[in-house]
Amino acid sequence: MLPTERLDFSAIAQRPRLELPDGARLAVWVVVNVEEWDPTQPMPRTVLTPPAGSAPMPDIPNWAWHEYGNRVGFWRMLEVFDQQQIRAVLAVNGSAIARYEPVARAALDRGWEFVGHGFTQKSMQRVDDERDDIRKTATAIRGFTGKGPRGWLGPGLTETWETPDILVEEGFDYLCDWVLDDQPVLLKTRTRPIVNLPYTQECNDVAMMLIQHHKASEYYDRAIDQFQQLYNDAVRSARIMALVVHPYIMGAPHRLKYFRNALAHIREHRDVLFWTGEEILDWYLAQLPGHRNT
Amino acid sequence: MIPRERCAYSAIVDRPPLTLPNRARLVVWTIVNLEFWDISRPMARQVLPAPTGQVLLPDVPNWAWHEYGMRVGVWRFFDLFARLAIRPTLSINARVCEEYERVARAAREAGWEFMGHAWEQMPIHKVEDQAAVIARSLDTLERFAGTRPVGWLGPGLTETYETPELLTAAGVKYIGDWVYDDEPTEIRTTHGPLITLPYTVELNDIPMMLVQHHESAYFTQRCIDSFERLYREGGERAKIMAIAIHPYISGQPHRIKYLEAVYEHINRYAGVLHWDGVEILDWYTSARTPE
Repeated sequence: MLPTERLDFSAIAQRPRLELPDGARLAVWVVVNVEEWDPTQPMPRTVLTPPAGSAPMPDIPNWAWHEYGNRVGFWRMLEVFDQQQIRAVLAVNGSAIARYEPVARAALDRGWEFVGHGFTQKSMQRVDDERDDIRKTATAIRGFTGKGPRGWLGPGLTETWETPDILVEEGFDYLCDWVLDDQPVLLKTRTRPIVNLPYTQECNDVAMMLIQHHKASEYYDRAIDQFQQLYNDAVRSARIMALVVHPYIMGAPHRLKYFRNALAHIREHRDVLFWTGEEILDWYLAQLPGHRNT
Repeated sequence: MIPRERCAYSAIVDRPPLTLPNRARLVVWTIVNLEFWDISRPMARQVLPAPTGQVLLPDVPNWAWHEYGMRVGVWRFFDLFARLAIRPTLSINARVCEEYERVARAAREAGWEFMGHAWEQMPIHKVEDQAAVIARSLDTLERFAGTRPVGWLGPGLTETYETPELLTAAGVKYIGDWVYDDEPTEIRTTHGPLITLPYTVELNDIPMMLVQHHESAYFTQRCIDSFERLYREGGERAKIMAIAIHPYISGQPHRIKYLEAVYEHINRYAGVLHWDGVEILDWYTSARTPE
């Protein structure tokens, strides 16, 4: 199905008002992406290109650079969530749960929500069998947490024309690949609709640090600017703000403080909620007449 | 062997802390990289892509840009480290000992550790006989420096699946290619264990200046941000902080002061050791708890 067949155009200013509980203006959700990079495949991202270019295999330095995130960076990030008492959302490759079991355990112990993020860090257009990949991911999460995932984020936000249809059929309630609004939206599928939650490419360390090559402090500056504008916008109707991090990027020693300080700034506002994806989902569904979650 | 066969995943919080002598918190490991760029091949890096993006041979402007580091930039490094009484590790293409004997001699006279860095600057994947290149590189460095190197860094940190086997067979004790931890680790090879030291692609002028195109001043900021975080963590467990530099990049007149500023900042703190790779290796070998 084409994107334009899944949802109609809608101007945010012309929708019914959405209200968060207790007069809150904004819900912030923080998504931590934990991935497994297969050392026998080309690396999804690189920090260092080989001398004179080309892409030699294996690519040990870039594999190791990512591995640092799960060995060291994640644990540094965890302190921030513990100190600020924020429950994050773990968008996790199905295979990473067994590979990095202590990471998954730490997230589970803290009541983080687990969101499916592909079985491996490979485009959904390149996996052999998309439904099987989605199913294996859900099974891995259910096996570890005792609860099937309700949310899905495509690896690199990739989808095929069919992805939302398959996700609904496999029991998912929301996805995050459609970065097109500041509020949740409903997407049509060939069966029942699925919700899309506002994820972000803007306050996302992959885009900012690895593609746009900003200084680490830009993460802080942009998060604050984004927050202040959304906080203002939310006078008229509730807004959702996402913050996205990867342990191998914002978990580097020189970057962590910019993430910590951004969260601390937002935390100072009493009328801002830190929610998981499923909390946003359930709130949104409850606002929709005729679309209550059953 | 693929990486996960060499070493299981290990969370740093699950390991017993390492401690440094005299309650030091942090080791700063400075690595100066000296390379030989063959004018008959595409240049390892480019400051100026040719018009329309074509790679033309010979690539004289980019060859000359790198050559500036050997003629001028590296002498700013020698001056800085002599003033600070720091002996960096020298990651050196062995061919430098022949082609830039004057530079290699200055490092030897300053007592810098020589670390193997292949024969010349090209991915190790493109070398026809890797074992021969490793042997020739280590032999050349041993003849020149008087001792056989115990450390190795792949050109551009590159390795094939066999590289750790070939290196251990040649007597290498540590490598810098595995930038996956803040501590040294041990990995398996079919010739016995090999130690990885935490080299860096974060505090490294190639990714920062040539790939990410940051302003010169950002080098100071990123190093200080890293240092302050690792120094704090070093109160609980020893940390290593590597700084990797190249004379054609950080030896530029507009960049050298930002490198100097890093050491000025670091040296205000107590409990910081400036060690070379051999010193870190020897400490780790005796300090760690056998697994």
